[in-house]
Parts: sequence; structure tokens; C-alpha cells
Amino acid sequence: MPTITVYKNDFQSLLHQSPSANRTVSIEELEAWLMLTKGELKGYNPETGELRIELQDSNRPDLWCCEGIARQIRIKQQGKLSPYPFFSEQSQSQAQIIVKPGIEQVRPYVAACAARGYRVTTEGLAQLIQTQEKLAEIFGHKRKTVSIGIYQLPKITFPVTYELVKPDEARFTPLGMETVMTLSEILMVHPKGLEYGAILAGTGRLPILRDAANQPLSFPPIINSREIGEVQVGDDQLFVEVTGTDLPMVVLTLNIFASNLADRGATIEPIEVQYPRSTSLGKRVTTPLDLGKSKTIQIQKVEQALGQELGAQTVARALETYGYDVSAGKGSVKAKLPPYRQDLMHMMDVVEDVAMSLGYAEFTPVMPAQFTVGGLSDIEHTSDRARELMVGLGFQEIISNILGSPDSYSGRMRLEGTEWGGMVEVDNVMSLSFSCLRQWILPSLLRVEAASSRAFYPHRLFEAGDVVIPDASHELGSRTETVLGAVIVHASAHFSEIHSCVDVLFYYLGKEYSLETVQHPSFLEGRAGRIIVAGQPVGIIGELHPEVLDRWQIAMPVVAFDLNLSQLLS
Amino acid sequence: MDTSSAVIDSLHPLETKVLTTFGASRPGTVLDSEQLAVVAELEPSQLSMAVEWLLAKALITIQSETVTPVVSLTKIGEEYYRGASPIERVLDAAREAAGTGKRLTIPDLQSQDGLDPSDVSKAVGRLKKEGVLLIVQGGCIETTGRPSPTVEALRTLLKQMHESSRALKDFSEDDRRVIEDYAVKRGNAKEPFRVDERVTRAFILSPSGASSAEQLLKQGVAEEVSQLTPEMLKDGSWRHKRFRKYTISLRAPRVGTGKKHPYREFLDTVKTKLVSMGFQEMRGSLVETEFWNMDALFMPQFHPARDIHDVYFVKRPTHASAMDESVLSHVAQVHQHGAGTGSTGWGYSFDAQRAKRLVLRSQGTAVSARTLAAAPSIPGKYFSIARCFRYDQVDATHATDFFQVEGIVLGEDINFRTLLGLLNLFAREVAQAKEVKFLPAYFPFTEPSVELHVRHPRLGWMELGGAGLFRPEVTLPLGVTVPVIAWGLGLDRMAMVALGIHDIRELFTDNLELIRATRGLF
Repeated sequence: MPTITVYKNDFQSLLHQSPSANRTVSIEELEAWLMLTKGELKGYNPETGELRIELQDSNRPDLWCCEGIARQIRIKQQGKLSPYPFFSEQSQSQAQIIVKPGIEQVRPYVAACAARGYRVTTEGLAQLIQTQEKLAEIFGHKRKTVSIGIYQLPKITFPVTYELVKPDEARFTPLGMETVMTLSEILMVHPKGLEYGAILAGTGRLPILRDAANQPLSFPPIINSREIGEVQVGDDQLFVEVTGTDLPMVVLTLNIFASNLADRGATIEPIEVQYPRSTSLGKRVTTPLDLGKSKTIQIQKVEQALGQELGAQTVARALETYGYDVSAGKGSVKAKLPPYRQDLMHMMDVVEDVAMSLGYAEFTPVMPAQFTVGGLSDIEHTSDRARELMVGLGFQEIISNILGSPDSYSGRMRLEGTEWGGMVEVDNVMSLSFSCLRQWILPSLLRVEAASSRAFYPHRLFEAGDVVIPDASHELGSRTETVLGAVIVHASAHFSEIHSCVDVLFYYLGKEYSLETVQHPSFLEGRAGRIIVAGQPVGIIGELHPEVLDRWQIAMPVVAFDLNLSQLLS
Repeated sequence: MDTSSAVIDSLHPLETKVLTTFGASRPGTVLDSEQLAVVAELEPSQLSMAVEWLLAKALITIQSETVTPVVSLTKIGEEYYRGASPIERVLDAAREAAGTGKRLTIPDLQSQDGLDPSDVSKAVGRLKKEGVLLIVQGGCIETTGRPSPTVEALRTLLKQMHESSRALKDFSEDDRRVIEDYAVKRGNAKEPFRVDERVTRAFILSPSGASSAEQLLKQGVAEEVSQLTPEMLKDGSWRHKRFRKYTISLRAPRVGTGKKHPYREFLDTVKTKLVSMGFQEMRGSLVETEFWNMDALFMPQFHPARDIHDVYFVKRPTHASAMDESVLSHVAQVHQHGAGTGSTGWGYSFDAQRAKRLVLRSQGTAVSARTLAAAPSIPGKYFSIARCFRYDQVDATHATDFFQVEGIVLGEDINFRTLLGLLNLFAREVAQAKEVKFLPAYFPFTEPSVELHVRHPRLGWMELGGAGLFRPEVTLPLGVTVPVIAWGLGLDRMAMVALGIHDIRELFTDNLELIRATRGLF
């Protein structure tokens, strides 16, 4: 989840909401306060005042900014959230955005507001841009569901129109460019067009925001106009719009921006969006808009979940000091999230906020008292016994990656195109070295042998671990099974030497086995056998084929076995 | 043990023989190498080793060094001894000729097999001088019938010196003259005798040697052996033997070892701890559906962690061929609108096909989800040490596949405080930590969620794990109605410190010597 940069001075003035009463917050204090936000301080540069903070909660985008963190702490210090007037008051003379038919097929929703009276500072601008990026990137799924534009309000003539145009019908100078470009040129040339163009793939006509003077504001979700959409330090009248595919998310994002700008001293002026037909919020939607609903929370359930008697008053107080709008009843509280949050899905979400608001340290740990019996699975038990025996036989245990390359698991083993060569492969390969799952253990041991020719001989290696065997009859298309593999490597390594080990192993595991000659490409012909138990093959034993050793660049004879413990058990 | 017994215990059998030889003689006896060799019954090479060792230990000192000319046979001399010297052959030939009345001339002799012309001339000259031979008219050789002192002397000398070389001074003046005449000189290597200068050293016991020798004699010398054999045990002869003591401070020879992998051993101790705390092991498949890997954990299908960058997708087959449709549809409804769980749900349209997409298991919690759906015990405690895969660049802190230790606890008495209690137990049992901190945390499938920080006895404050109460949106559609703790422990850092490594990739290293050399300090 996001890591953001915050300037300590900026943060302090937001915390106290007054630049004059700018009390210094110590780093220890800050770390303790950050617990309220599931934030972790990752770094602090005392010279620049830069703090690096990682925010964990992917359902709390309001906390992914300096303003939001300061707000959450401030509420706790002040005892409650001072309500934002623009969520409740109905503004009379509203500016408007007109949404034209057709846009619902591409990017249906827009929300916007104006902000006056906050003169943008260097730090404030950095935060505006960072919040815009983090919200669009992470909360907005790389601008797909949500993207944000911020403009110089005085340059816009209302009403603004949101509609689709033909790719060559509109043109403007985008941010980061010197010349006028059509929308199709932006998609083909502009870095943002190349990065985000895929969102609009397959749409014949493209979305555009234009003002009453027909000036383009933005080509969402790609790029703003340089003319209107380049906010600078010193600007004190802003226009913020959010477009996207999910109306509640679009509104929430705008609510967060409106709250942030209000926290910095701006007066927020709502904007009315007129849709051609009704949305889930009606045909005319004025934003910012509080979508929160009160939820009745049974105190007993909160107490049961937390394991502690608290009472309605304590719960109500805890929620209020965490930003909720609360009214306490008898045995229950009615609680509503603040408008910049939308993450209340279940009563348990409220329970956690109660615990965080009170502080986890307020809860005394209690041991779960009910009796349970511990134990290992049958396969783990068998695998552990086999491992003990292998150690007794003088073998060194190895652990390997299970994800590897087809070359190791099949190619160098001479198994390509054979019945033994099938593997589960990865579709989204990042590196060929990690592109399939091993179907047997021996290549993992040869990996070690190939790298260890200077290590004191003899080498006796084993690994007991999971492999994945393709199986069309299984609903997952494969079976995960536990396999024991072993190799003996030295100048006179011989079949009978490894055979003796298998013999001992089977004796102590209490199983009867026999060997049946097999032609297996990894082994020398006439020196390889299937290990048969109760008429079923459960493994293979033999002297490795010199061609295999050559491909691994191993210059020592190797004898080996590979025994499927899962099949041995079944 | 006093010093002289320590000295005696360290003696080699050869040294003991030499010391006892001295000890058996009168005090102050001087013995040279030859005498020692004879009395102690040692080969010259054995004696010289023993003498060098005793000198190094200052148990004997050198009394004197004498230089003696010593006569020995050359190769030619050995040939003369086996056959006859040229002078003897010449004399024999002359006597034979006299007996048969044949004429014998110098050229006749020189043409005989194996006789060198110069040897013939020298022999004839000497025999003539002794009056044994006469040269008569026509160059014929005749004998006078007198014996030749040279031939007699040579025969005796060859025999004596074949037996052993002897000092020149031991011979009579006549013999010495013969030896000098027939000895190898510069310019004439073809002679039977060689005179060498031999240094003979004579030794005497040092005071400490004298006391060691005395003690050796006193305690009596049992036969010393290096190896106890089955025969000695059988016939009891070990009772009369002394076993040579070893220098046990020498470095031990290397031996091949059978041993568990140190990381696996670490995980084994964790496994044992968990079982001892009443946890039952769970196993799962490495290939899993998105459903069990994520949907069942109430992670919405549009969740950022489900983007292509975090999980490996299976190439073939892409989707599960079958699934429990009733669980699938129940979970789908919970995602969409909560479906009686008390939740609003995520409010999106669930893609049942996507739920069947096969992936490589990315979190151990997938195993827990399967267990929840398979009628677990209540109360119940479960754990798994699950191999998981993340679609991530590999570096010192990120591996493509790694172990996750995690599990669940189900029960009527489960709540936030018992969750903290369980974490306290983990802190104490797994990390031997007495101090803990609980921090708020976020996991998509738990609420409330906690991060467990502990003060490890060696590592200081560290994050040990994360846990929480499963959301009802997770448990209810899987048929579990009691509260459930989901917990996970982050043990890799502890393991890496215990194993002394700094790069997570080294946990699966291919370096055999490193694996052999690593011992875990758990």
C-alpha cells in the first residue's frame, strides 16, 4: 500500500490548523499518533523535514495524504470532527457540469467542486499532486476507475460539458508538451497517452471536458490542458474534477479532495452535475456529497467481539473521537462515517475503529482456554520419518525453490516430449528461471551438485518436498505431492549403493517393494528401475545418464532415487 | 604425573629400545651407533630415527664423533667375490696350461672371455714380481709352483668384505697394502675395494635420559602396540600389551555427515512448538483457484493485490474443471451484497469464471480457507508451513517461493483479547520474547487486525507476525459460525539471523559446503 512523503512543518500546521500555533511534534509522538492511521514511519530527513510514511489500509484512501493523517489525529486531540459545512448546506448559485449522452459507454461519472481562499504553497502543491497520483494509481486502479484533474478556476467559463468527441475533433496543448495536439495524437505520442491509452482501447469516440467557451480542460483519464490545468504556487482559486466508472468511488474521491482543501483553509463551493438520465444518485448530483448512512451498532456485539465490557457511552465516545457522527442509545449506538470515508461494510469495521480509538494497549490479553489436540498430517509424519532415516544413512538435507526452469526440470534431464516431462507452467512469465513447477526432486539435487564440485566428497544429498504433477483428471489440473529424492555422488558411485539405501528406507517404513527395469531417458539403460509398491509405481532408481550429467556439467558419477511419499501412503 | 613419566608415555617403541639398551649398561656407558644397532637389534634406519628423536628430546647427547676409513666392496668387488679376481683367473689358467703342457701366451689370456687386457697385464706383472710366474722364450707363461700371497689375500678380503664393510685399521699391514693397491682411486674406478670415511657418533645418556631409562627398566617394558585387535580381546593378550598413547591434540580428519538442512531444522522447531501448543497441521495444493486464494478471503476481484503483478497464473489448464458450486455462489453473493452476513458486500458483479482461474498459491491463508470449508473442529487450532509464490522481482529480501507459517484458531471464546493472548503466547514460545507491542494493521480478510512486534532477546524490536479475527464475510459462507483468529508469523528474519545469512535467497542455496558448515542457533 502507498508510501507517501509528508513535510513535517506542513503536517504540524495542519495538525494544529493554525500556522501561528505551530508546535513542534517529536518523532516519538508522531509514531505513537500514527497508530490511529495504521501508518508506519519509514524515514525522516531532519534537514528537509521530509517524512516517509507507509499507510497500510487499502480501504482508507482518505489517509493516503498529509491532510488525512493530520485530520485523524486532530479529531482525537480535539474530541470530535468539526463538520464540513459544504456537505450539509445547499448552495444557491451553483456552477454546473453538463454530461452529454454517450459518455456512459466509456467513463460515465464526474464529480467536481471549486475551492477559493487557499493560496497554494510549495508544500501544498506537492501534496495535491501526490494525493492525485496515489488515489488515481492505487484506489483508482491506475486511473481506470477514478482519475482526478485540478485547474485554475478563473480560466473556466461555466457550464462545463463532459462528452464524447471524435479523436481528431478536439485539440489542445497537453501538460508536458509545447504544441497543440489532437486527442489521437496525444494517445500516440504523449507519455501519459502511451501509459494509460489502453483504458480507452476500443472506444471510437473519446471523453473530453470543455468549458462554455469551448476550451478543453482535460482529456480524461489521460491528460489535462496545459492552459487551464496547470496549477501553480500562489493560485488561490481551484477547480477539482473526478471522473470514473464507479459513482460512489468518484464521489468519495472528490469528498477527500474537498475536505483536504478545506483543512488548508479553502472555502468549498459545490458543483452540480446534470446527467442525461438518472444515476443511482439521481439525475442531478451536487458534489461534494455525503453518501454515509447511519448504522445501528449493538453494544453487546462490540463487547463480545472485543472480549471486554465497555458500555454504550465508552463506545460512542471512542467512535466520536475517531471521526464518526454518533448518537448513543440504550444498548446500542447509531454511528455514521465521516463523508471522506466509505469503508463501513460490516459491524466488525466499527469494532476495529473502537479498538484503535481506545488504543490496543487498553485491552488485556487473555489466553484462549479451550483444549485442542495438536498433531501432524499423515504425509508430514511419513516425510519426517523418511528424513530421519536419510540423515541416519549419512545424507545431507537440501531445500530448493519449487519454481524453476523447464530446462532444469526437463531439458537437462532428457525428458522433453516424454511422459515424464510434463510440468505446470506459468502464464505470466517474469523470468525463464522461474517459469514452471518441479514435477520431481532430482533436478533440485543436481542443481546443488553442479555448484559443489569443490565440496569434500562423497556427496550424499536428499530433499523431501512438494512437487506438482499434471493430472487432467484432477479438478485443479494437477496434484501437489510430497516426494523424497536422493543422490550419491563420488568417483565410484554405484547402483547397489543407492539400492541399499532404498532397501533400508522401505524396511523401516514398513513397506514391501520391488524393482522393475524401466527405460527412462534420465538414466543409463539397464541400470534404472521403477520402484513398485502393491503393484503401483511409486518412484524411480538408477544411475544417471552421462548425457544428463554432461548437460548439468557434473563430472562425477551420480546414482539416485526419487520416491513419491504421497503415493506410498495412499 | 611427573615429568619423566610424561616423557616415558610419549616415547615411541624405537626410542624405548634405545633407552633400555643404555639402561641395561653401567651408568655412564658410551655406545656408538654400531654397538647400539647390535644390542638394541635395530635396523640402521630405525636406529637413526630413534637417535634423532632422542637427541631432539635431549634424552641422549653426543659424546664423540670419530672419522674412520671404512673398506667395502664395489660392484666389481662383488663380481670378483661371486666369480674370481682377474689375477686368480690368470694364475688358474697358467696352472691349467702347465698341467696339460699347452702353450700359454699373454695374447691367449687377453682373448679369454671377461678378461680385460689391462687387468691381464697388471695380474701377470704382479705374479711375476711375486715369483709365481715366469715369462719364457716365445712369450710363453710358465708357473713356478709357488703360491701367490696376493691371490690368497684377495680371496679372503673379498669374502670378509662381502659379509660387511670394515674399518681399514682392523686389517693387517699386508692386507692394507693389498686393499690400497686394489681400491678405487681417481682415474681408476675399476677396482674391487672402496675406502670411505665414515663418521661414527658415540652417545651417552643425559641426566633426564638416565632417569627415564631407569624408570623404564623399573616398570618393565611390556610390548607396545598401536591397535587393539579382535584377536587380542579373544586371547586376552591385550593384558600384556602397552597401547601407544596418541597426540590427541592433532586436528581430526574430515568425515562426511548426514544432517538436516539448517533452515528446515528451524522450521521443524517451529512445527514442534505449534504442535505442542495444540495446533493440527493443514496441507494444501500449490496450484490453487483464485477462489480459495482470494475470493473466499473476501478480497474483491478488483482488489489491487489481485492485479497481474502479484500472482503467477497457470498456463495450462487455465481454469479449474469443477468447483463446489454452492460455496462459490454463496461467496459470490457475499461479495455482491453481503448475503445475510450483516455486510453490505463490495457491491460489484462477481465473475464466477475468474474465481476458477488457476494460480500458484500466493498466501498460506488459502489453506486456512479450505480448512474452514471442510467442517473444522470447534474448538480447533490449525497451522500450516505453506510454500507460497509471489510475482515479484527476486532480490536480497524477495524470493519467488518462500514458506509462510500461519493458521487459524476457532472457538466460542475467541475475541480480540484472546487474539492478543494467542499472540503473547507466540511471542514467548517462538521468539522467546517477554516484551510485546500490538499495533493496528490491515489485512483484507480480518477485522480487527493486529501486528505483533516483539523484543527478541538477540534482535531487539522486530515484527513477528500479523493476525486478526476473520471477517464474518469470510467465515459465514464457508459454514463457520464461531469467531476465528487468522494468524501468520514472519519468521524469515529470525531464521536468517539464526543461520547467519543476509540474503533471503541463501535459504535455498546450492552451495553444499555452506549448507554443511551452517549450524543453526535456535
